[in-house]
Amino acid sequence: MNNDHRCITTNEGARLLARRAFLGRSAGLSLGALSLGLLENVAAASVSNVASGRGDLPHFAPRANNVIFLTQSGGPSQIELFDHKPGLHDWAGVELPDSVRQGQRVTTMTANQKQLIMPPRTKFGRYGQSGATLGEWLPFHWKIADDVCFVKSMVTDQINHAPAMTKFLTGHQLVGRPSMGAWASYGLGSANRNLPDYLVLISKMNRPSDQPLYDYYWGSGFLPSQYQGVQLRAERNPVLYLQDPDGMPRGVRRTMLDSLAELNQMRLEETRDPEIDTRIRQYEMAWRMQTSVPELADLSNEPESTFDLYGPDSRRPGSYAANCIMARRMIERGVRFVQLFHPDWDHHSQLNSWCVARCRDTDQPSAALVTDLKQRGLLDETLVIWGGEFGRGVAGQGDWQSTDAGRDHHPRCFTIWMAGGGVRPGMTYGATDDFSFNVAENPVHVRDLHATVLHLLGIDHQRFTYRFQGLDYKLTGVEESRVVEEILA
Amino acid sequence: MLHSPRLFRWATLLALLVALPVSCAAGDLAAPRFGRDVLPILSDRCFHCHGPDETHREAGLRLDVREAATADLGGYAAIVPGDPDASEILQRIESDDESMVMPPTDSHRKPLAAHEVDILRRWIAGGAMWGKHWAFERPVRPSMAAADQHPIDVLVRRRLEQLGLSPSNEAEPHTLARRVSFDLTGLPPTSEQVAAVDADDATDSYEQLVDELLSSPRFGERMAMWWLDAARYSDTDGFQIDAIRTNWPWRDWVIDAFNANKPFDQFTIEQLAGDLLPNATAEQKLATCFHRNHQTNGEGGRHPEESRVDYVIDRVNTTGTVWLGLTLGCCQCHSHKFDPISQREYYQLTAFFNSIDETGEAGRRAKPYLDYQSPYVAEIVAQAKHLAEQRGAHQRAASEAAEPHFQRWLEDQIVNVQHGFEPWTPLAAESLKTASRAQLQQQPDLSIVASGPNPDQDEYQVQCKPTAGSTITAVRLEVLPDASHPLKRIGRGPTGEFAITTFKLQVAKQGQLQVRDVPLASAAADSEAPVPEGKENSRSYGRVGHLLFDDPRNGWAVASEVLDQPHTAVLRLREPLEMEDDERLQVIMIQLSDIYQANVGRFRLSVTDQPASVVAIDQTMPLERLATLAPDSTDDIPEKLLGELRQQFLATYEPYRQAKRRADAARQQLRTYESQAGEVKVMVMHDREQPRDTFVLQRGVWDQHGEQVTPGVPAAVLEWPQEKTQTRLDLAHWIVSPDNPLTARVVANQLWQICFGAGLVRTPEDFGLQGEVPVHPELLDWLAVELVESGWDVKHVMRLIVTSETYQQSSKFTPELLEQDPENKLLARGARFRLPSWMIRDAALQASGLLDESLGGPPMMPYQPRGVWEALFKGRFTYEPSQGDIQFRRTLYAFWRRSSTPTYLFDVAPRRTCEVRPRRTNTPLHALTLMNDLSQLEAARSLAVQMVATESPPAERIDWLFQRVLSRSATTAEVATLEPQLTAWLAEYRQSPDEARMLLDFGQPERNVDQQMADTAAYTVLASLVLNLDEAITHE
Repeated sequence: MNNDHRCITTNEGARLLARRAFLGRSAGLSLGALSLGLLENVAAASVSNVASGRGDLPHFAPRANNVIFLTQSGGPSQIELFDHKPGLHDWAGVELPDSVRQGQRVTTMTANQKQLIMPPRTKFGRYGQSGATLGEWLPFHWKIADDVCFVKSMVTDQINHAPAMTKFLTGHQLVGRPSMGAWASYGLGSANRNLPDYLVLISKMNRPSDQPLYDYYWGSGFLPSQYQGVQLRAERNPVLYLQDPDGMPRGVRRTMLDSLAELNQMRLEETRDPEIDTRIRQYEMAWRMQTSVPELADLSNEPESTFDLYGPDSRRPGSYAANCIMARRMIERGVRFVQLFHPDWDHHSQLNSWCVARCRDTDQPSAALVTDLKQRGLLDETLVIWGGEFGRGVAGQGDWQSTDAGRDHHPRCFTIWMAGGGVRPGMTYGATDDFSFNVAENPVHVRDLHATVLHLLGIDHQRFTYRFQGLDYKLTGVEESRVVEEILA
Repeated sequence: MLHSPRLFRWATLLALLVALPVSCAAGDLAAPRFGRDVLPILSDRCFHCHGPDETHREAGLRLDVREAATADLGGYAAIVPGDPDASEILQRIESDDESMVMPPTDSHRKPLAAHEVDILRRWIAGGAMWGKHWAFERPVRPSMAAADQHPIDVLVRRRLEQLGLSPSNEAEPHTLARRVSFDLTGLPPTSEQVAAVDADDATDSYEQLVDELLSSPRFGERMAMWWLDAARYSDTDGFQIDAIRTNWPWRDWVIDAFNANKPFDQFTIEQLAGDLLPNATAEQKLATCFHRNHQTNGEGGRHPEESRVDYVIDRVNTTGTVWLGLTLGCCQCHSHKFDPISQREYYQLTAFFNSIDETGEAGRRAKPYLDYQSPYVAEIVAQAKHLAEQRGAHQRAASEAAEPHFQRWLEDQIVNVQHGFEPWTPLAAESLKTASRAQLQQQPDLSIVASGPNPDQDEYQVQCKPTAGSTITAVRLEVLPDASHPLKRIGRGPTGEFAITTFKLQVAKQGQLQVRDVPLASAAADSEAPVPEGKENSRSYGRVGHLLFDDPRNGWAVASEVLDQPHTAVLRLREPLEMEDDERLQVIMIQLSDIYQANVGRFRLSVTDQPASVVAIDQTMPLERLATLAPDSTDDIPEKLLGELRQQFLATYEPYRQAKRRADAARQQLRTYESQAGEVKVMVMHDREQPRDTFVLQRGVWDQHGEQVTPGVPAAVLEWPQEKTQTRLDLAHWIVSPDNPLTARVVANQLWQICFGAGLVRTPEDFGLQGEVPVHPELLDWLAVELVESGWDVKHVMRLIVTSETYQQSSKFTPELLEQDPENKLLARGARFRLPSWMIRDAALQASGLLDESLGGPPMMPYQPRGVWEALFKGRFTYEPSQGDIQFRRTLYAFWRRSSTPTYLFDVAPRRTCEVRPRRTNTPLHALTLMNDLSQLEAARSLAVQMVATESPPAERIDWLFQRVLSRSATTAEVATLEPQLTAWLAEYRQSPDEARMLLDFGQPERNVDQQMADTAAYTVLASLVLNLDEAITHE
């Protein structure tokens, strides 16, 4: 599985060549006579042994081979979308009782106003045989209610966007740790030698965003940088620098790379530096990516039915809907970790229009992705996660009676959903109190989510470490965390 | 999971074989030494639970202190000096019982290897003598027999001899010239420099080159790049707002300091506490920007005090990494697990930085500032001004050259408008859709009427087929009242209000299922509902400009008094749209407002082909006025209209447009630099009058105050009395005290790293117990002492390093060294590693002759693919590459946006927090960058132009190219490979001149080549190839 020889750092490469020189001699072969196949096997061995923590990966049989993380940036409102609290109508306009609030901080945006309860702005229904509760702004989700597992008791400990998203994606609120996708890429490598292991798609939207998406959200932190996510853009050049300049025909590029390899090979023989060998391979991989990435990004061979399934916005390249189709294509090609970002869920005002707009962007395509993967038999091995960095508070921000009103950030509870990849379908896990304010049962901290995702990938989060600055770092950090066994299929 | 389990085991075995010699070399088999041999084992496997951190200590046992480790635990002791078998620790380590064995299985710590157990056993048998961790002992100059050999070589070879290894031969002269030139200046040597070193007769030519490089201003720039990474320097704040700051004069201060060879202790003192020096100069205050380079967070809703505490903590952690090589950050939440530093001591360190007169805010509210006039800004302003004038002149010339074309066009127009002129063509719809059950229908007057149910929110989609071959520059939307509407107004809802939140334009091509967006540039309307001041981020239906964004909180609406009249909006396209025959125009109008049911009841869409610049809402277009005037000849046209018509013509006349675009870019650049020509605000340190109280923060949480603390330094490093540790200045003196065991070692190690790609301690950020033990400890200590005793003379130490034979060895691998020391820790060969990516860009610019050597000033923008910032910030920031020679300044001066690391660089320190260890990976993305980055291609094209300009035959041109890029001649084999290929490319480009033209048409147009296009194209490919060679991007 780990035949991914791209993941070779200088030092690993040096050790590899040492070993290869040894092998070559004992096998009575000169370096140049070693067949590529053998080289690749040796490379495989080196990758699995040399680096810390991943020689024994996976730790046990994985339930999911791939992950699609549908990141809803800004903090979608669980109160309007998932977490039905009909009793709140009786509390409308009443100040949130201290017994519920328990000293919870709010941001400085609402610190100076009374925390008056604002009932949900949507009607709710129960859907599927499982009877999951869903608000009226996500009508396409009604149809996948029995395919997904709603976790209503998510907890984080950060109340501002950047730290909360950083925690949600990297396990720590401070910048510098690897993202979940980088960990997965580092630990498991790729099943596709022509594409990066970790791909990132950001919805193209015409709006100056309040929360930018920092590139460290898909960064490799202290892991070697080849594990960072590669962003695919809805541009002529989907990966930066992928496209050759106009006026360089493929034939010219090919012969240029051939001569480059030939000259580099001469240098390799002269210096015996194994790094040159790696570089020759990376240029070849670059050449392959120049074909494989545009092929991946080209939706013109998708049938009309695909676009019908994912909705009208899927016809617009770069939309969240089009990116959902891309995600499925990536999974089909063996990409380990796919992460979508949809910005602008930070609805401090005008829930009735603002939140509706983001629901319209994402409702049909998210549901279609689950359905599509299921129809293609890919859902079993693909874990789909939908969620944002925190939830929203039960109190109205602004005048709770006005259409102006929105909701402030809320870290103590929020809802995410997961589907496929070994997660129990048609389940709702965890519950909040009557105010959707505190978790009432089965809390799932962000760390527990990370432990669970790694578990589904066949990784014991306790044993999956990387040494940096003298410490053995884990995605789940130093505090207690657990695999949420109850939601495993 | 693996292909072959047998290979797997083989590789493990081999890894052990390879690893052994080096690790054994570190210790002496006869007598284990505590600091070097024993402590690393105890630290790694035991201290996590039995170390300095009292809160996580298991069974009350601590093994980091001798008294505790040997204490009687009730008839037994963890360690019984002299008696390994009686020592509980060994029994537990060697136990087969899973419930007894240490470290415990569930700790996921590696069990001890046999040789590690052996070290402990022999150490206990020898009396379990305690000592300090090696890095906490003050370095002493190792004893050396007086020899004429370079001290570095004496120390390195002593170790090599012990292991039966011999050093490598000296590298070839040109390799050496390149190596030392990259290390000391970050640039390849000039051909004269290579020739001088290559010459046989000059015995001290290498030393002369070293002196030349050390005295070059490029030295300071090279060293500054090291320091900028460590200092997490950036031109923006980071985090949500990521506002631009103007701290670049500090960067220039760093360059100056290195060029002036400011002693490193002084360099340190000024950066940590320059403001506290008596009669501090502006430059000494400027130096303190070092500790304001951290990220600042201006996110709305964030508590400024929380941010301020973060900054204080960042300063302590950065100080720890850069000067002390300590991972102090670990102590934020608890006492250090491994190093003898308590949480209390950590917060004592924060006390030094806790009273800066700052608020925790960001952007332009990040006081304290120094208003500073940079001596370096005048040059870049002059450069920008010259370019703007030059391009302005080109623009005027282009305008004059266009005049005859304008006159001909105008004569045509006079004829064309004889029978009137209607700029707008109403659109006939092919299909009409809504997102609801409402229906749309087109009327004979081409207005479109909605009927049926009226939902709270809706979306209209109109698809139409404009005339084939037509150009669309703007769309007009008319919203019309109707007698059938409530109150006979425009909207269908009970109040007759209407709102449109988003207006989108798309093109659908027949036979394709995907559409493409047509970007809109601006909008105007004849009427807008008034929007209250400061409501931009909230409900504000009124301004038509909001139509351009996917934001339903605002959009276009008109005041209720005028809802019974028709209204018009125009939306201008960013670029003219040429419609193909098989294309359809798609208009999407979204009403997602919270004014429920405010859907437009009747509207009409039209398009125009008149340049967007003349599309206005409040006046007629020039051609309409021309039609009204109906002149017989151009002489009858009044001056004002003539001027407008000329502007309209020029707006579509490509040769002029191009000249104007370039002139505009140069003028924009000039404005940017002029705005920084006077005093700029540099963030500096300055204490407030009333110091803040400092507390231990429980679990590191900003508002969870524990015990109050006063300033103080960690005793385990160097104990100083309280009266000497009151201020930042005291702290700075403590750091550079000759008694401080860490600073000189840590700095010397980083200087070594600059020359060898890796430090003598391979964990430059961690000299603590978990850091890597150096293979050449005496060498490190010698360098550290030399650094201090030379008066912290950085150039002296750099000269020492690069003049050693160790440094000058060939970097070629031998099979023996590959086996014994693949990572070159023993230094039996020279260092071979890929250059940092910033150096690769600088080297290409230098080799091609494009490099602009101007020093200092406000940042510039190297080429970067379009849309990177725009996508991350959804359009809030746009990236405009620098114009003219400014584009070719060194990468050191490149604008650094913290939230979007420059894309043309790779393996860089992201500069969010301090980093001192280079990243070095090898990925296909790097290959793609070097193949296709515009800076690289500019360099290739420039080299090609120079090659083609000579009369020389191809083989000589190839040789010249090798000299420029690789500082050496091409070998016969290399020429034999490249020459036929070059011939093939020449043939290809001669056959397809269009391809050649396209290949050369990029970057800065004045560098375009009109002559010998095919040759230049072929040679550009060749030059790009050579720039991509491993040798070109490698420190050999």
